[in-house]
Amino acid sequence: MNFVAIKMLVGDRLKYLALVAGVAFAALLITQQASIFTGFSLQIGQWVRDTSNGSFDLWVMDDQVEFDNDFKPMSDTALQRVRGVRGVEWAVPMYKAYLRVRLPDGTLVQSRVIGLDDATLTGGPPQVTQGKLADLRQDRAVLVNEEQARSTLRLRRGEDRALRVGDRISVNDHDAIVAGFYRANREFFWDPVLYTTYSRALSWAPKERKLLSYVLVKVAGGEPVTDVAARINAMSGLKAMANDAFDRTSTSELLSRTGSLVNFGITIVLGFVIGLLVAGQTFYTFVLDNLKLFGALKAMGASTRTVMRMMAIQVVTVGSIGYGLGLGAASVTGLFFSKAGLAFNMSWQIPLAGGVAVLFCCLVAGLLGMVRVVRLEPAVVFKS
Amino acid sequence: MSSNVLQYEENARAVTDLPADVAVHCRNVVKSYGAGSSKVMALRGIDLDVLKGELMMLVGPSGCGKTTLISVVAGILDQDEGDCRVLGKNLRALSQRDKTRFRGENVGFVFQAFNLLPTLTAAENAAVPLLINGMSRAKAVERAKAMLDRVGLGDRTHSLPSQLSGGQQQRVAIARALVHDPKRIVCDEPTSALDHETGQRVMHLLREVALAEGRALVIVTHDARIFEYADRIARMDDGRVERVVKSAKELGHE
Repeated sequence: MNFVAIKMLVGDRLKYLALVAGVAFAALLITQQASIFTGFSLQIGQWVRDTSNGSFDLWVMDDQVEFDNDFKPMSDTALQRVRGVRGVEWAVPMYKAYLRVRLPDGTLVQSRVIGLDDATLTGGPPQVTQGKLADLRQDRAVLVNEEQARSTLRLRRGEDRALRVGDRISVNDHDAIVAGFYRANREFFWDPVLYTTYSRALSWAPKERKLLSYVLVKVAGGEPVTDVAARINAMSGLKAMANDAFDRTSTSELLSRTGSLVNFGITIVLGFVIGLLVAGQTFYTFVLDNLKLFGALKAMGASTRTVMRMMAIQVVTVGSIGYGLGLGAASVTGLFFSKAGLAFNMSWQIPLAGGVAVLFCCLVAGLLGMVRVVRLEPAVVFKS
Repeated sequence: MSSNVLQYEENARAVTDLPADVAVHCRNVVKSYGAGSSKVMALRGIDLDVLKGELMMLVGPSGCGKTTLISVVAGILDQDEGDCRVLGKNLRALSQRDKTRFRGENVGFVFQAFNLLPTLTAAENAAVPLLINGMSRAKAVERAKAMLDRVGLGDRTHSLPSQLSGGQQQRVAIARALVHDPKRIVCDEPTSALDHETGQRVMHLLREVALAEGRALVIVTHDARIFEYADRIARMDDGRVERVVKSAKELGHE
């Protein structure tokens, strides 16, 4: 009777297409929005992950810093205080702040400038694609993001071209030279990021009492990272966080500040509800239209179990096809998103969770119809 | 026999005091719907036997209980009181599951509105009772095609119901009713949706093919034009069988 169930379903083309479309829409919304949210969430802590890269263990910062783009500098003495804590193998400074950058064509762009420890250049970009990290030691050298060199730092007045190695720019009215390019993953804050040395960054920065943004710490071998972090906190009053903790904290802080979690959550729930309503209403109408036929089947000896199985097959068929189409559409939009550099990350958990949600949606949608058919008296076929 | 033995026998096998040629045996069958002031007595003590190889017609005005009676006789509804045995079995004593299975194996249905599944071909529609009973699709369709051939639709096995005339659809329904070799056929107004000539052809087919293997046919009808095909006609009124006659003439219909 399985093929009878399928034929009954697909024979009513309009309702079948409406069912599949309803489920596909739900699947698209659920998986696409979840993927955008995941991509978005991953972008938030991207700079922290790219920077840490295993080269150091702890970020030390002012106690009031809440996320990675929250600029609350410390005094220079913080570096020495951290170096004096037991368990710290080494500690280097990092500068990070927004400075005004003037491009060769006169365009002004507010950019993040990262100043790396002069000696070790710890905390540099993940991959230098043109030039070398050591080129930062050259006079007035900066490294620029290669994608941003073509987009936000592109020269548009007069000549229309990407920024090139050798181009002269000014940072806070100080001369700088583009020494090379680096590649990094997209971040949530996608303003231009320039790397230079710590001392050079300090010379460019506006004169303030406190300029030290972070102290990057390598924990001595054998020492638990959390213990050293706690010790730094206790002895210096500064906040010390491991790489993943800083990543998580930044992410959750920004998600809660922007309300993204709630907004995406609402969209996902709406997708589920819409799918449920459309599929449920359409399937129930399908059942009502075929009630006499179900009654005839029951009269002819089809057990309740057989009829329920037929309906379950119909529901699962619609769910599978709709889910496949919805997931496919979400994947296609993801390709476009990724090419455009927008947030989209479809980890394996998303299709799985989406599938479970769609299955639940379909079963609930089919439930009303099933109840109606189960309660149907076969004698209804004798009523004209 | 003691009443205890009779009680056991009811569920298991043919009652020894029924003649072997009785397919349906009803004694004092009562059936009502609703309760209290809205209670409706559909059957008020039906006494009726239908023999094997017999075409029995149930006639009477609307609301007289014909449909309720065939529902009881077909094992779709349980009577409230009285004795109704089908092929020797007391259906009321069976579980719902056993009753459904009994129906699937022993009863064929021909409905007034045909009730063919519009998205299945003629062969697939005719195969439905076999599929319900668990036969494989290929085998069921093969047997259905053979049955369609017997009812004169051997060349239309791949047609959808929408591609068939009313008479042809009813013939598909008859093939469906016969395909699993049931012992009884229950027909509800089989000719009401057909013109006179087509109705005659359908009745002719029912007598020729359906009765051929000694089946009992019970037909509910208002259509006086087909009374001549009956072996016996039971006239019902107000939930009772008024009389059972052997011809339309006795009923007052020529």
